[in-house]
Amino acid sequence: MCLLRLRDVSLGYGNRPVLEHVNLELARGEFLALLGPNGAGKTTLLRGIVGLLAPMAGSIEYDLDRRASPLGYVPQRETLDPAFPLTVFEVVLMGTYARLPAWRRAGAHQHRVARHALELVGLPALADQRFADLSGGQTQRVLIARALAAEPSLLVLDEPTAGIDADATAAIMGVLTRLNREDGLTVLLVTHQVRVLQGIVKSVIWVQDGRAVRGGLEDMLARHAVAAVL
Amino acid sequence: MSTVLEVLQPGFILRDALVASVLVGLVCPLVGVYFVLRRMIFLGVALPQLSAAGIAFSLLMHRTVAGPHPHGGPTDAMMARLGAMTFTLGGIFLLALLERRGREFVEARIGMTYAIAGALTILFLAADPWGEAHIVNLLKGELLAATETSVAFLAAVLCAVVIALLAFQKEFLLVSFDHDLAVVFGKRTTVWDALLYLLCGVTISFGVLAAGPLVTFGFLLAPPLAARQMTRRMLTFSAVSSAIGGVTAFVGFCAAYRYDLPLGPTEVAVSAAVLLVVSVGDRLRRALAPQPA
Repeated sequence: MCLLRLRDVSLGYGNRPVLEHVNLELARGEFLALLGPNGAGKTTLLRGIVGLLAPMAGSIEYDLDRRASPLGYVPQRETLDPAFPLTVFEVVLMGTYARLPAWRRAGAHQHRVARHALELVGLPALADQRFADLSGGQTQRVLIARALAAEPSLLVLDEPTAGIDADATAAIMGVLTRLNREDGLTVLLVTHQVRVLQGIVKSVIWVQDGRAVRGGLEDMLARHAVAAVL
Repeated sequence: MSTVLEVLQPGFILRDALVASVLVGLVCPLVGVYFVLRRMIFLGVALPQLSAAGIAFSLLMHRTVAGPHPHGGPTDAMMARLGAMTFTLGGIFLLALLERRGREFVEARIGMTYAIAGALTILFLAADPWGEAHIVNLLKGELLAATETSVAFLAAVLCAVVIALLAFQKEFLLVSFDHDLAVVFGKRTTVWDALLYLLCGVTISFGVLAAGPLVTFGFLLAPPLAARQMTRRMLTFSAVSSAIGGVTAFVGFCAAYRYDLPLGPTEVAVSAAVLLVVSVGDRLRRALAPQPA
């Protein structure tokens, strides 16, 4: 069943389109990656999908009620300001705000959801630690926990393994793979690290020259001569 | 100690001024935490100055429309509140709108706002020479001239600000910490940003009217900057900021009363001293902390 459909979508900034005539579908339970050279528009496409960028043309349709089933979004961690005095638990708890109306405070149920999300990423021991003091890999896992605390149907991640070591990368990909295979969570992520996708992802979306084309992972890698880099 | 006991007597002659001081000291830091965290510190300088320009403008307009009249009546007070709020809220929304269009030159815009507001204040004063002395007092913020009525009004307004800040604390935190996530969650970020700016503007306007731009700016920033070094959680950060503001307002008042010093500058000096002590203590703590192997 189709969870997300892009029909002839153009995305860009100001009057300048970065991507045009994008037609894509994402089925429930899929694990899909956005690949392509630097500056191709992968993050632009991601931002359009999550609603941070309005399409210049076309439509983006969801087969879900975004109020009842919010998106889980994991941004690039450099976008967050370490000046905020927040513990790990407080950051994760923010994920529960997606389902809370303005006049309701986070209660016992939201606290349980947040603790469970921290357990899913293997970091319950860090709940009281300052968010700003975490390593890159820990920060990324906490942001994934925050996204999971929204209890999403679709998890969207922007370069979740950028700038972190191999062990942390493996841990993150392990969490995502487990959630996709065991819980049926639909996952869409942007990455430059093709190696981490092998054995996990079958289909990818290749973004280049203003277009986004879907295909098998190995086929796309062969077409775009990425195998030599691996 | 005897000064403290005297000040706390029910019949203390400057009780209204004390209450007004402590109210400003308690509430200004609660909006100041957002100035510090959203890195809008310069806005905390410019907005009190805009508020002052609004006061001067409204009194000049009142004089222009109503003709020469003795200053100091209740109409003047109402016009001053209206002018302060209009200029402050107008300025804050305009700056927020310009910020959304691009973060480049944010400090330049805020700096120009401060300079223009300062210049306009003087020009408006110059155009109303009959009331210049009174207007200067109003702009300085005459805590010592506080009355039971004005304090009650101030308390009601600031109480409403505190209730709103507490009630919508999670929305304000979300739009401040991760604006993109708030959008993804479908929150009306424009509305929440606007409400936060409104609460900031109201607090600053009434703070300036009660205590003047200097004291308002001092309590917006010094307590949160001190509390930031002592706290790890957002709610604790806000509470400790407010507590530092209230306590330093009280201590500053007692010091000014005891040694016959200007009230506003003394309170700001005490607040700055606390910030200095906390900063030094924090550096010492870091220097003496065991280094990781």
